[in-house]
Amino acid sequence: MLPFVEAYFAPKTDIPRRVYLSVSTLVGVLGLALWCALAYGGLVRPDFLPTPVAVVKAGIAGIEDGSLLVNTAASVTEIMTGFVLASIFAVPIGILMGSFKIVEASVEPVTNFVRYLPVSALIPLLILWVGIDIEEKVAVIFIGTFFQQLILIADVSRGVSHDLLDVSYTLGADRRTVVTRVLIPATMPGVMDTLRVTLGWAWTYLVVAELVAANKGLGYFILNSMRGLFTDQIFLGIMVIGLLGLIADQIFKLARNWLLPWAANP
Amino acid sequence: MAKLHIDNVALRFLPKGGSPLTALENISLDVGEKEFSVIVGPSGCGKTSLLRLVAGLIRPSEGAIYLDGHAVTRPGKDRGMVFQSYTLFPWLRVEENVEFGLKIAGIEQAERKRIAQRYIAEVGLEGFERAYPKQLSGGMMQRVALARALANDPEILLMDEPFGALDSQTRSLMQELLLKIWEHAHKTVLFITHDIDEAILLGDRVYVMTARPGRIKEKIEVDIARPRSVEVLTSDRFIAIKRRIMALIHEEAVRAMA
Repeated sequence: MLPFVEAYFAPKTDIPRRVYLSVSTLVGVLGLALWCALAYGGLVRPDFLPTPVAVVKAGIAGIEDGSLLVNTAASVTEIMTGFVLASIFAVPIGILMGSFKIVEASVEPVTNFVRYLPVSALIPLLILWVGIDIEEKVAVIFIGTFFQQLILIADVSRGVSHDLLDVSYTLGADRRTVVTRVLIPATMPGVMDTLRVTLGWAWTYLVVAELVAANKGLGYFILNSMRGLFTDQIFLGIMVIGLLGLIADQIFKLARNWLLPWAANP
Repeated sequence: MAKLHIDNVALRFLPKGGSPLTALENISLDVGEKEFSVIVGPSGCGKTSLLRLVAGLIRPSEGAIYLDGHAVTRPGKDRGMVFQSYTLFPWLRVEENVEFGLKIAGIEQAERKRIAQRYIAEVGLEGFERAYPKQLSGGMMQRVALARALANDPEILLMDEPFGALDSQTRSLMQELLLKIWEHAHKTVLFITHDIDEAILLGDRVYVMTARPGRIKEKIEVDIARPRSVEVLTSDRFIAIKRRIMALIHEEAVRAMA
């Protein structure tokens, strides 16, 4: 067997950090090189695949005329409003749903029904009801994330060890204390992970909503660029969304380490 | 009057879609003040259920349990418990874990700190006050759990195979530590295990339980002088008692298999 295969291809075995970083960088560079080869080599028509430089230029132009910032700000506002609203309700209800059968009985059947309704299919109805402004985007994100969060957080709450609650009772805690001082803190790492995952889904719902009908936002920016065959702007829009997702994910990661230093890493 | 009086307790439950099951039947036993009683039995005999009944975490189908003459109806801090599973609160540091019961009882901070410090020292964990449970080994976590139960100054300490998940070296160190603590704290203890050596080493008396439905099969006095250490494990008296308990348990295991 080749020596590097022998050393680095064992399942679930660590590799040196240096090798790890080199491989990650190499793959990134290869991807970029492939893009350059296709774009500059004339293998693909420029209106299909823009060059990296064209995308950067589109970015600079978008910043200069303000269109990029306006649309990004619109999308970020919509997503934060919808996501925060959904989370404010989903976290407490989910925790109760996973630990109190009576709450589960009242919430779960409806939740299981709604969560299989495709949110994208509700968009036309929501447009009829609330128009195409921010309210509609917030509604799409709320419906798309709230019910998923509810189910995931209920599972987190259900998974809290029974012994942890029992030991609290034997230490003199009453039910109220057990809920506030034991159940809720015990769910926090799982809640953070759920929020992190569902924020990613929220982006998908937002862009879908913006592609259907909008007058601003990154989805609108992408759709509008398609109409003029501005593929460089389409690429720019997609990359900005990816970048925002990456930033949000890193913020969640940092917040978890900072707020929950006691939790085992996922 | 006995400290803990278990009066003809039975526990039955109805499994989902199954026929009614009797987990415990005709259980009567008394634990005297400052006595160390151990219950051994084959797995599935309901010994953990019995301890949870005493803790008040479940209610008996028949009979009653009295602590100092008062009927047990719910869990309370007069019956501290150490579980087999790791039950430290992961979000609290070692000292905060030990202070948990004191804090909800409304004891002021300086006093809490003093008591916690004392029991952390007692279990040999000075220097780990600020550590989170995830930084501790299994044996250390169980020592904190013991300190947390003791800090509450319970009338009786209930221990459900607390060293069951530990490796054998750590387990025997923990047994010695528990013996040492018990010698001077002198708490009333009801201890559950399936490990016969552990039962004899620790207990003043050992109750052997039958296979399901669990009953008390026999009560055996451990007349080995205290203070004890792991050296008694090889004494003639110890081996004689062990032979007797093993025969009883073997009988039950065979009966359960049949």
